Amino acid sequence: MDSIAIEANSLNKTFKTKVGLWKTKSKSTVAVEDISFEVKRGELFGLLGPNGAGKTTTVKMLTTLLLPTHGTARILGLDVVRHTAEVRKHIGFAFSGSRGLYNRLTAIQNLKYFAELYALDPQVTRKRSHQLLELVGLAARGDDKVETFSSGMIQRLHLARALLHDPEVLFLDEPTVGIDPVGSRELRQTIKNLISLGKTILLTTHYMAEAEELCQRIAIINRGRIVALDSPEALKRRISGDSVIEASIQAGQMQVIMDQLRILDGKTVVELKNVSEPEIVTIRTPEPARVLELLSPYLNPQYIQELEVRNQTLEDVYVTIIKAGGQ
Amino acid sequence: MKDIRWGLIKQQMLVQLHVRTLNLLSLGLFVIQPAVFTAVGMLLSHAAGNAMPDLVYTVIGGGIMGMWSGLVFSSTYDITGDRLYGTLELIVGSPTSLTTIEAIRTLTNVLAGVSSLGLAFLAALAIFGYSLKGINFWGAIVSLLLLLFAMWCIGIFLANFLAWSRLSGGFVDYIEMPIAFLCGFMYPIRVLPGWLQILSGAIPIRWALQAMNESLLGNHDWSFLVIHWAITIGISLVFIAITRCLQDKVHDSIRVSGELSSI
Amino acid sequence: MIKSLLRPFRLYLTQAWLSYNGRLAITSPFGYLASKLGFPFFLMLFFIFMGKFVGFTNPLYIVIGNVLLIPASSSMFGVTNAIGDERGWGTLSYILGSPAPRMPVFMGRAFFYILDGFVTAIIGFVIAVGIFHLDLSRINFAMLVLCIFLVAITSSGLGFLFGSISLVSRDGWIYLNTFLSALYILVGVNFPVESLPPVLQKVAFGLPLTRGILAARMALQGAGWSIIRQLVAGEVLVGAIYILAGFLCFRLIEKRSMASGTLDAM
Repeated sequence: MDSIAIEANSLNKTFKTKVGLWKTKSKSTVAVEDISFEVKRGELFGLLGPNGAGKTTTVKMLTTLLLPTHGTARILGLDVVRHTAEVRKHIGFAFSGSRGLYNRLTAIQNLKYFAELYALDPQVTRKRSHQLLELVGLAARGDDKVETFSSGMIQRLHLARALLHDPEVLFLDEPTVGIDPVGSRELRQTIKNLISLGKTILLTTHYMAEAEELCQRIAIINRGRIVALDSPEALKRRISGDSVIEASIQAGQMQVIMDQLRILDGKTVVELKNVSEPEIVTIRTPEPARVLELLSPYLNPQYIQELEVRNQTLEDVYVTIIKAGGQ
Repeated sequence: MKDIRWGLIKQQMLVQLHVRTLNLLSLGLFVIQPAVFTAVGMLLSHAAGNAMPDLVYTVIGGGIMGMWSGLVFSSTYDITGDRLYGTLELIVGSPTSLTTIEAIRTLTNVLAGVSSLGLAFLAALAIFGYSLKGINFWGAIVSLLLLLFAMWCIGIFLANFLAWSRLSGGFVDYIEMPIAFLCGFMYPIRVLPGWLQILSGAIPIRWALQAMNESLLGNHDWSFLVIHWAITIGISLVFIAITRCLQDKVHDSIRVSGELSSI
Repeated sequence: MIKSLLRPFRLYLTQAWLSYNGRLAITSPFGYLASKLGFPFFLMLFFIFMGKFVGFTNPLYIVIGNVLLIPASSSMFGVTNAIGDERGWGTLSYILGSPAPRMPVFMGRAFFYILDGFVTAIIGFVIAVGIFHLDLSRINFAMLVLCIFLVAITSSGLGFLFGSISLVSRDGWIYLNTFLSALYILVGVNFPVESLPPVLQKVAFGLPLTRGILAARMALQGAGWSIIRQLVAGEVLVGAIYILAGFLCFRLIEKRSMASGTLDAM
């Protein structure tokens, strides 16, 4: 059995639109450019990137909803273009947002409808619908119309829908958007359980903590290209083992602190985070001891209210990579 | 349509009825609009000095208008509605082919439209004193079934075409009335100029409808009817063949444009 | 002070244009014209041949009535759908939650539809004259143009009435569609209003369009302002009543829908 569940090879997607009323001009937008990666069976793989980076476009190509302009993609060894119908039997997908369900139908009716598109036996559908509603915390709302659901509930129902036919590969586009912290935690646990059942999951998210908690590997995508791909730990180590020092500065004292830090070389990056009080300065540095030494005369409430020294988080790495333009 | 199965048909029909058919729009399309067309026909006839309107063309013809309008609107709004709901992506992304789904939905729309014809027929009988004496009953029944078949074939063709682009919903404006006008829904084909009669020959509905109206008017010329039935079946199958040829192109086209979720 | 006086007009026009443009997303001139003219033109042909079958052999009568209904239905549907679509897209709350005065914001939405309907009607009329070789030797063109413009404005009130239903229901356009069907019987589009039963004749003259269409028919026969002015005045009065009623209905239902929380419900 092939150990690779998802394989993308030089995927490209260019959208062509026409602009103008009388003299129309053709305009091309490259949404995804030369994307390649592999996801092993049973892996939980994350796709991170800013808005408009090409995450959803990539996912739609992998889920057969968009035809790539160039490149190939395979799911469980099946080409997404040449074996479309077969691929669809083995994947489930859920996009974010409150669309995608029939508002006038109940949750169970929606599940029955979609189950039939996957040729599920009615008895199996009945059983799985109840199990999945239980799994996503909607067991008590199965007979309620979707139009009465909150956006978080709709997200959860989408997850149930995507799992109806027990797919081997699952694509989740920002699954915890709109869900409260308790619900998000439960959903993350559900996703982890799915991995333990042997499913392969490709997840897109904006929540760094979620990506760090769930994903075994992460690809950071920016302007249609993958700019980094590794495990969360390895990605954090990419920024040369930098530490992060965050200091809350008293009103009016920022200039004093900045003057002190000016003598540091270019390997240390200083950022002002808040413009209102208290001002927070974030210092990313490979030499935390030197920075602390420079700041030590000011470690009193007159200058620095609070100070925290920590290791780089995934968010730090992500921001650094994206701001650097992916270099 | 190799993925046809009873469960799929049942589920699609139930949802179609629940989400699209059993609503106010259907009341308008299947009852009110045909009544309006019939009223216009009757008042035109009255203004022209006729004592009694033609019940087959003016009253029962109104029911045919209702059937057709219902089918065209439902087929258009099926796709538009799925785009709006965001379910078009999920349907296209499933292993069941979109053409199969559209075929079942169109069948549901056509069968729902029979209610309009039924009401018109009842009105003709109960209100306007239409008599069944002398009609070619079996000729009318077979013609009606072939009329439904022809509408179904065109409906699938339309739905496939409408899936192609979010702008193609506007094309319903070029389809509903032109076909009603060309096929003589509420007047005999002979009223049209010769060249339009030839043009209407390409639409299977025209042949089935002509056979049905003639049967209701008491025509028992079986050779006339059989020829009309054969032409209806032949042209309908041509539409099905075109749909089958285009379905992969449409499927690819909507996945190139990325408009599956665009309204 | 001048700025605050001009503001409602600026709001009226910007809302008018943005709403119209946002809804239509015109992609090509042909596509636009075809979508505006297609249905009403073929419907008119349908009625002409229905008339021919029953012996009503005056195609010009049917042409004028149907052509005049084009700007009216454009105006009605434009306003109703402009409000209904805001609800559908989830933007209605943002508009009604703003401090902008309602009158120019929503009245403005009718403006380009009126213009649009007027242009479509003229084009439709020219095409119909060409196809049926209609005799225009006696036509008073200025009066005819006035009548076309007039019915477009007076029927916008109906658009508001049905648009207000869209504040609380997703089916506002369905009610309008049904009502528009009834207009084909009531306001003398395809046959004289006198053909209707007396009760319905009274209803007909209580609606916008009836007098406007009558005035247009007279203009085709060469009637001048002195002959049609009473009909025009009557049309203006009825239209004003419906515009006011539509606006009041809109405000009333807006308040109710805010109380019941149905503004954003789909």
